[in-house]
Amino acid sequence: MAGTTVPIRLGRERSDRLASSAYFLRRNPRMIVGGLIVIAWILAAVFAPFVAPYDPIKVNVIDSLLAPNAQHWLGTDDLGRDVLSRVIWGSRVSLSVGLISVSIGLLVGTSLGLAAGYLGGKFDLFVMRGIDALLAFPALILAIGITSALGPQIQNAMIAIGIVAIPAYARLTRGQVLAVRAREFIVAARTIGASPLRIVLRHILPNVMNALIVQATLSTAFAILAEAALSFLGLGPQPPDPSWGQDINYSQRYLPNLKWWMSVGPGIAIFTAVFAFNFLGDALRDALDPRLRRSGT
Amino acid sequence: MIPVALLVTIGVFALARLSPVDPVLVFAGEERDPAMLEAIRHQLGLDEPLPVQYVAWLSHAVQGDLGRSFQNKQRVTEAIIERLPATFELGLAALLISVTFALVIGILSAVKRNSLLDLVSTSVTLMGVSFPSFFLGIVLILLFAYVIPGRIFPPGGYVPITQDVAENLRRLVLPAATLATASLALNLRQVRSSLLEVFGHEYMRTARAKGLREGAVIIRHALKNALIPVVTLIGIQVGAIIEGAVITETIFSWPGVGRLAVQAIPSHDYPVVQGVVLVSALSFMLSTLFVDVLYAWLDPRISYDTASA
Repeated sequence: MAGTTVPIRLGRERSDRLASSAYFLRRNPRMIVGGLIVIAWILAAVFAPFVAPYDPIKVNVIDSLLAPNAQHWLGTDDLGRDVLSRVIWGSRVSLSVGLISVSIGLLVGTSLGLAAGYLGGKFDLFVMRGIDALLAFPALILAIGITSALGPQIQNAMIAIGIVAIPAYARLTRGQVLAVRAREFIVAARTIGASPLRIVLRHILPNVMNALIVQATLSTAFAILAEAALSFLGLGPQPPDPSWGQDINYSQRYLPNLKWWMSVGPGIAIFTAVFAFNFLGDALRDALDPRLRRSGT
Repeated sequence: MIPVALLVTIGVFALARLSPVDPVLVFAGEERDPAMLEAIRHQLGLDEPLPVQYVAWLSHAVQGDLGRSFQNKQRVTEAIIERLPATFELGLAALLISVTFALVIGILSAVKRNSLLDLVSTSVTLMGVSFPSFFLGIVLILLFAYVIPGRIFPPGGYVPITQDVAENLRRLVLPAATLATASLALNLRQVRSSLLEVFGHEYMRTARAKGLREGAVIIRHALKNALIPVVTLIGIQVGAIIEGAVITETIFSWPGVGRLAVQAIPSHDYPVVQGVVLVSALSFMLSTLFVDVLYAWLDPRISYDTASA
C-alpha cells in the first residue's frame, strides 16, 4: 500500500453519513452476505422454540430414518427426531459457545495485554511468557486437553476455547499499547493528572477497538468450529441434547446405509455459520483495520 | 525458549490435576478397598505435595518416561512411538498434497489475477477454511466408499506399508485428502498473497526490462522471495501434524497418536492424554524454533540479534 495517496474529502455533512454507509455496504458485498447469514443464525438460535417445527429430542420411532420430505425438510434420524429441528436447536449451543468463549478470550486477553503493555517490566515479562506458553500448544490439542480434564460439558468447552483464544487478544492489545504509550496524547493525559486506569481505558483502548472487533469476529468462527470438533469427539454437550458436531459423529454409523441427510444438515449448518463469521471478519478487517489488510487478498 | 518449555510442562501437569475424577479410582479399576486405594495412591506418588509430584513427573518425563496407561498399563512413551509412523505417514501425505496444489493453483491465481481461475480459487479457499474437516471426511467416505460404484476407497482402517504397499496407499487417500484441505486453503492464500506482494517490487520490473522470459521472472525472481513466508507456514504445519490428525484419525479409524488420545479420554486415562498433549506441544515448539532459524537462513536481511533489541 506504500506510495499510494488517499484523497481526503473535507466538509462532509452529517446527513451524508447514511448515504455513505449505504455506499460502503454496496461496495462491500461480503459484509452484507456474511452479516445476513450471521443474523439469520442468531435469529434461529434465539427463536428456536418458535422456528423449529418439532421437538428436537422427542423420539418417534415410526418416523425413523425418513429421507427429506415435505414434513421433515432435512429428514429424520434413527430415533425419528427431525434433523432440521435439531440443527436449529443446535445453533444455540454453537452460538452460545462462540459468544461466551470469545468473551472470555476478549476480556482476559485484552486486560492482560493492556496491563502488560502499560505496566511493562517484570509484570509484562511474566504475562508474555505465560502467553508464549499458551501459544506453544496447538489450539485444538489445548482445547481437547482442558475439556477432557474438566469433563465433557458445554461449560467446559466454553472455558477451554476461551483460554485458547486469550493469546491473540493479549498480543494484539499489548502491541497497540506499546505503539501508542509514548505518543503525545498519552503524555498529555498523564500531564493533566489522569489516572493509569483512565489512560488505559479512555485513551489507549479506543485505539485498539477496531482490531479487537475484527479479531472477535474471526475468533467466533474459530470457536464454532472448535466447539463442533470437541462435540464430534464427545467432549461437548451430551446426548440427547442437539449439537452439530455430536450429531455428525452420530450420523457416521448410518453412512453404510446411505442415510446421508443425518450428516448433511448439521454439516451445512457448521459450514454456513463458520463461513459467515469468517466472511464478515475479513470484510470488517478491510473496512476497519487497514493495517491488517493483507495485500492482494 | 526454556522458560516457555518449563511453563508448558507445568501446564500439561496441571491439566491432569484439574480433573475432578480421582486418578486412583481409575487406576484401581474395580478395587474399592480403602487400604488398597491408599497403597495405590502412595505407589503413584499422589500422596505427595503437588510441587514434589511435578518435579518427580518432570524428571521422569525428560528421561522419556511419561508413565503408564491406566487402561492397559502400557508405557505411554511406547504407545506414542508405536503410533507415530501412522500419524507421520498421514500428516506428510496431507502436507504433500496441500503444498503441491497450493503452489500450482496459487501461482496461476496470482499470475492471472482477477481471472475466473483466481475468483474460483479464492472463493474455494475461503470455503475450505470454513469447512469442518470431519464433515468433509464424512462426505468423502459417503461418496467414495458407498455412493460411487466400485467402492474405490475403503471407509477407513489402516494397513502398515511394510505389509501391503498398495493397500496402505489406497487407505491413505481419503484421510490425507481430508487433512490436506484445511491447510491447502491457508497455503494457497499465502502463496497467492505473497506472490502478489512481490510482483509490486521494482526488481520484478528490472527482471522483465532486461528481457527475461515471464517463466524465468516468476520462478527465479518472484518465487524465491515469495516462498519465504510459505516455508514458515509449512514448517508450523509440520509441527502441528498431531493436532490435525486428531479428528481425521478418529473419522477414518487410523491408528495414530491423535486417535490414541481420543480413545483415552472417556476412560480418564490421563497419563496418555497428558503424554500426547506434551509431545504435540513440544513438537510444535521445536518446529517453530526450526522455522525461525530457517527463516534467518533463507532471508539474510533477518537477524534475531537486532530484532530482539
